[in-house]
Amino acid sequence: MKNKNKILVVGSGRLGASIAADLSAKGKDVIIIDKNGESFRKLDDEFGGYDLIGDATDLTVLENEALIKEVNEVIVTTDSDNVNLFISHICFFVYDVPEVYVRLNDVDKGKLIENTTIRAIYPFNLSFEDYLETRKERD
Amino acid sequence: MKMVIVNGRHESDFIIKKFKKDKHHLIVINKDKDFAEYTSNNNQIPVLCEDASKAYTLSDAGVEDADVLIALSGDDIENYVTCITAKKIFNVKRVVSLVQNPKRVDLFKQLGIDSVICSTYLLGESIKNESIIETFTKKLSLENDKIMVAEALIGDDYNIANKQIKDITFPPAVNISCIYREPEVIIPNGSSTIKPGDKLIIVSSPENQETIINFINKKVDENE
Repeated sequence: MKNKNKILVVGSGRLGASIAADLSAKGKDVIIIDKNGESFRKLDDEFGGYDLIGDATDLTVLENEALIKEVNEVIVTTDSDNVNLFISHICFFVYDVPEVYVRLNDVDKGKLIENTTIRAIYPFNLSFEDYLETRKERD
Repeated sequence: MKMVIVNGRHESDFIIKKFKKDKHHLIVINKDKDFAEYTSNNNQIPVLCEDASKAYTLSDAGVEDADVLIALSGDDIENYVTCITAKKIFNVKRVVSLVQNPKRVDLFKQLGIDSVICSTYLLGESIKNESIIETFTKKLSLENDKIMVAEALIGDDYNIANKQIKDITFPPAVNISCIYREPEVIIPNGSSTIKPGDKLIIVSSPENQETIINFINKKVDENE
């Protein structure tokens, strides 16, 4: 049995790239995957992990290149909610990844991860809470 | 039957025509504006032009408790999300998804899609089935491949030919459901004799099918 000690970040947008850089700086074993190689320009120069060009919805890529069976934590941050949900379901239901985080712009999609340990990050909720917080400070 | 048809073009049009005649309750959603208009006029049916992978679209369309939803878009993942949303949030009884990528057929089933249709996959399966035609005429699977039905034509030189069923030691988990002997259909019991030219209809689980095919096809001079 191989140890599950890797962290996989799916999507190298601003959020994905920042999370990957942060984890890498903390000494974690990070793999970041994106369909488009250009996206890795957003990665910090100091990033010490592994950047992989590929489609994370393809099981062959997930298994053989992203080493999903050795992964303890996945953070899914592509720009499509549908793709994010699908990948998070694969990680949870097929590969039993213990920690799965998924970015969802559509809050309604949260119902589709009920009864799982998948945790959602909702930019909508965060912005809304931030606004309410800022207004409270102003008053 | 309450039936929801999402996206697709000719497939969608064909299904609408086929089921509209039988007075089913059809709900049609198509995010392609031009096609939505065309199919709406063509079939005199309302078409909601929205993205069905969003829960509010399915809510607006009133898909709650539908008997079946069929997702026909060319985007596999959009079909997946539409189906899962319909099933988990709107209690749709059966969801069917079209996929382009044959590698996703088993994955979608594993993730809870009741039925997954892929033309490439079907083509592959039918070639596989055609290729064993010499020994086995037909194979059919029911309930998502959980039950296999096969039809075997018994040759003169088959080991089990001219024997009574009770004298044959079949592998476990086999059921000879019926014998077709022109022009009659026999429901066999232990004392029935299998004759050359009979067609046996065999029901089994998929794991056992190979064993049974090999067993039935055994020739007289072959050792056990």
